Amino acid sequence: MPTSPASPSADTPDAALSAVDPTAEVAERIRYLDEVMAEIDAEVRRRRASGDLPAGLERELDELFLEFSPVGLQGRARLRETLSLVDGSAYIDIAVPTESNKAVGAYIKRVIRKALGWYMGFIVAQVVKFAWSVSRMLHVVVDHIEILEATVDANRSVDLPTALLPSAVPGSAWWAPAAVDALRSAPGRVVVGDCGDGSLVEALIAEGIDAYGVDPSDIALEPALMRGVDVRGEGVLHHLDVVATEALAGVALTGSVQWLRPIERERLIELLSTRLVVDGIVVLHSTSPESWAASTSPVVRDLAPGRPLHAETWAHLLVASGFSVSTVLAGGGDRSLAHVTAGSADADTLNAAIDTINARLLGVSEYLVVAVRVR
Amino acid sequence: MKLVFVTPRYGTEVIGGAETAARMLAERLCQRDGWEVEVLTSCALDHLTWENSEPAGTSMLNGVTVQRFPTASPRTLDYFDLDGRLRIAPESGTLAETRKWVSLNGPMCPGLVDAVAATDADVIACYPYLFATTVDAIAVAKVPVVLHPAAHDEPALYFSAFRRSFRHLDGLVYHTMAERDLMEDVFRVGARPQVVLGLGVNEPAGGGRPGGEILGLGDRPYLCYLGRVDEHKGCGMLADYFAQYKARRGGDLAMAMVGPVSSEAPDHPDIVVTGTVSEADKWDILGGAQVMVTPSAYESFSLVVLEAWTLGVPVLVNGACAATMEHCQRSGGGLWFDSYRSFEATVDRLTGDASLRSGLGEAGRAYTARNYLWPSIIDRYTEFLEGIVARGRSTTVQSPRLDLHDGGTPYRRQGGGHD
Repeated sequence: MPTSPASPSADTPDAALSAVDPTAEVAERIRYLDEVMAEIDAEVRRRRASGDLPAGLERELDELFLEFSPVGLQGRARLRETLSLVDGSAYIDIAVPTESNKAVGAYIKRVIRKALGWYMGFIVAQVVKFAWSVSRMLHVVVDHIEILEATVDANRSVDLPTALLPSAVPGSAWWAPAAVDALRSAPGRVVVGDCGDGSLVEALIAEGIDAYGVDPSDIALEPALMRGVDVRGEGVLHHLDVVATEALAGVALTGSVQWLRPIERERLIELLSTRLVVDGIVVLHSTSPESWAASTSPVVRDLAPGRPLHAETWAHLLVASGFSVSTVLAGGGDRSLAHVTAGSADADTLNAAIDTINARLLGVSEYLVVAVRVR
Repeated sequence: MKLVFVTPRYGTEVIGGAETAARMLAERLCQRDGWEVEVLTSCALDHLTWENSEPAGTSMLNGVTVQRFPTASPRTLDYFDLDGRLRIAPESGTLAETRKWVSLNGPMCPGLVDAVAATDADVIACYPYLFATTVDAIAVAKVPVVLHPAAHDEPALYFSAFRRSFRHLDGLVYHTMAERDLMEDVFRVGARPQVVLGLGVNEPAGGGRPGGEILGLGDRPYLCYLGRVDEHKGCGMLADYFAQYKARRGGDLAMAMVGPVSSEAPDHPDIVVTGTVSEADKWDILGGAQVMVTPSAYESFSLVVLEAWTLGVPVLVNGACAATMEHCQRSGGGLWFDSYRSFEATVDRLTGDASLRSGLGEAGRAYTARNYLWPSIIDRYTEFLEGIVARGRSTTVQSPRLDLHDGGTPYRRQGGGHD
């Protein structure tokens, strides 16, 4: 059974808040809540299996919950239950209640019911037929959705363990000054994808650039949120999807852009070429494939859905989608082996071998590509 | 800095969530040095009839200058005909049809729209999205406009009239991240300056009486529901679930339902329905509760959840409600249920584990202190508005106003009320 996270001991909320690391505190809160809810779910399953509540009564109580819930929020687990509500309401009863507080009232109601019975019956029979057809169609749709969901689930990759990913502090990275320089001329709003602690967003704002950030990790964003930076808990692909056409003047990409699936990479480039204005700027930072292979945790490498590309490949993809590549910078430390001194025996052979090793395994560890949308 | 709020109705008599939120913001912002706040609104308090019940002209309300303008016409039955038709397939309504819907939804206040066009304010804040005053203000404003949508996932949100109108927004202010996600999905406004602001919580103002004494429960432990006792708020479901819980689990746990009763009050020996109580009693009852329960699935913000947390009281919310779930998941201050079984197991766990209650309550208290105390809310709001003013109006093109529709049979309200 989990124990509750330590309560702040300070007397005032502000003092209590200043005493804790917000990122660690959020992570601890989420972990604790997840554990408690997992225990409650296990208890629910145990009680349900015990059959201590008559099935009919339990269904009735659950239908009561569904009755007051927005259908769109109920999730896939509720799909079948919601469908059973549709089935249950597809029949329309024409036997209108005729009870009344007044004696004559009941008589009049019975007369009206009898007089209109043939008419109502004709209409209602058609409505019920239509409702049942719709219900049958919904069953077919739900069957197909469940097959599709099972297929998607089977192909879903494991989430990357965030603890093994380098913490994102892009504002102090080697490429940050070059990114700020490149985006200085952006004619409008600039978004930083995987903005982490918000430091690059702040660096851009400090230079007068109208910037904001997105990052899928609420935990990573917490310091930025505490400082009042405009950052949002969204992945960059999803965010670009909810941005209007040509609404952005610049996009800075780092982090997850390195391990996108091929289909996601294709989608990213398509979004960049529609969400950016003409003359809009893309700044893309990535680890080189060689450095990724040599320096990334084996677990991350094995579980990552995609692999980093070479700078040349990103440049090729961007140019093919209407961008002009203006700059490619190498950085992040050069891990190349040095040549042996010329003139020694076999020096040329050794240096040729070193060049091959550098090119295939070592060399620059990271790069920055800057491109401008030209069409 | 001068800010003008544009709201369809305004006043202490108006109980609607969005309008109350606008008033709370206006009243606190006008106390901030260097800020002048004015409200442009209609003479109506009833959003179903738009009857001009207040005098036109300028008045002061709690430090805020309020300018009222008469509505050009009451709501007519034409609105309900068109609404019924468009609701079935809201996205297929034409621009002309949906703009007509907005004008029939009202309130149509030509004088208010003229005042927006001529205002000397630095920035305009429209609140909420659904009304003609908002669409017309965005159309004619010459200074930056921010929108507080107060949006729910409802058919009208998908009308093309709003999509067209919101292209000309300069910023958005949301109650919750869930509302932001909804607006971004529907309107593709992700790149617009925005802030998830929420609302501030007042300082607890209890009278020092034990809640159990006020309720006549003595020392019995109790759950507490706070708000309008209404079927649509999930109160009927909560009462049924609690009755079932008592039948199965027994014990001395009771439940208080505190607030005005608009549906039939639950009748159960362990449920105390108080009706409207004083502010002091409200805080005392809340403070004495083991858990505050919010059964509604349709909250856009839920101030009462934050009020419970200011007292360190944990909450139990409806798992289908995006707003209250967001509060719980971000804060770690509450649990949720999505069936009778999970209600029963969660109530068992909460009532039987004082350490859990204390941990959740403290997490909620810290979350509220960090995000929802008025001074920090106003700081974030003014900082956001200053950024909007610095960017300036994003469009110089003025859009056409909504057309006035003459005639039609006026709608007559069945019974009173302004909420």
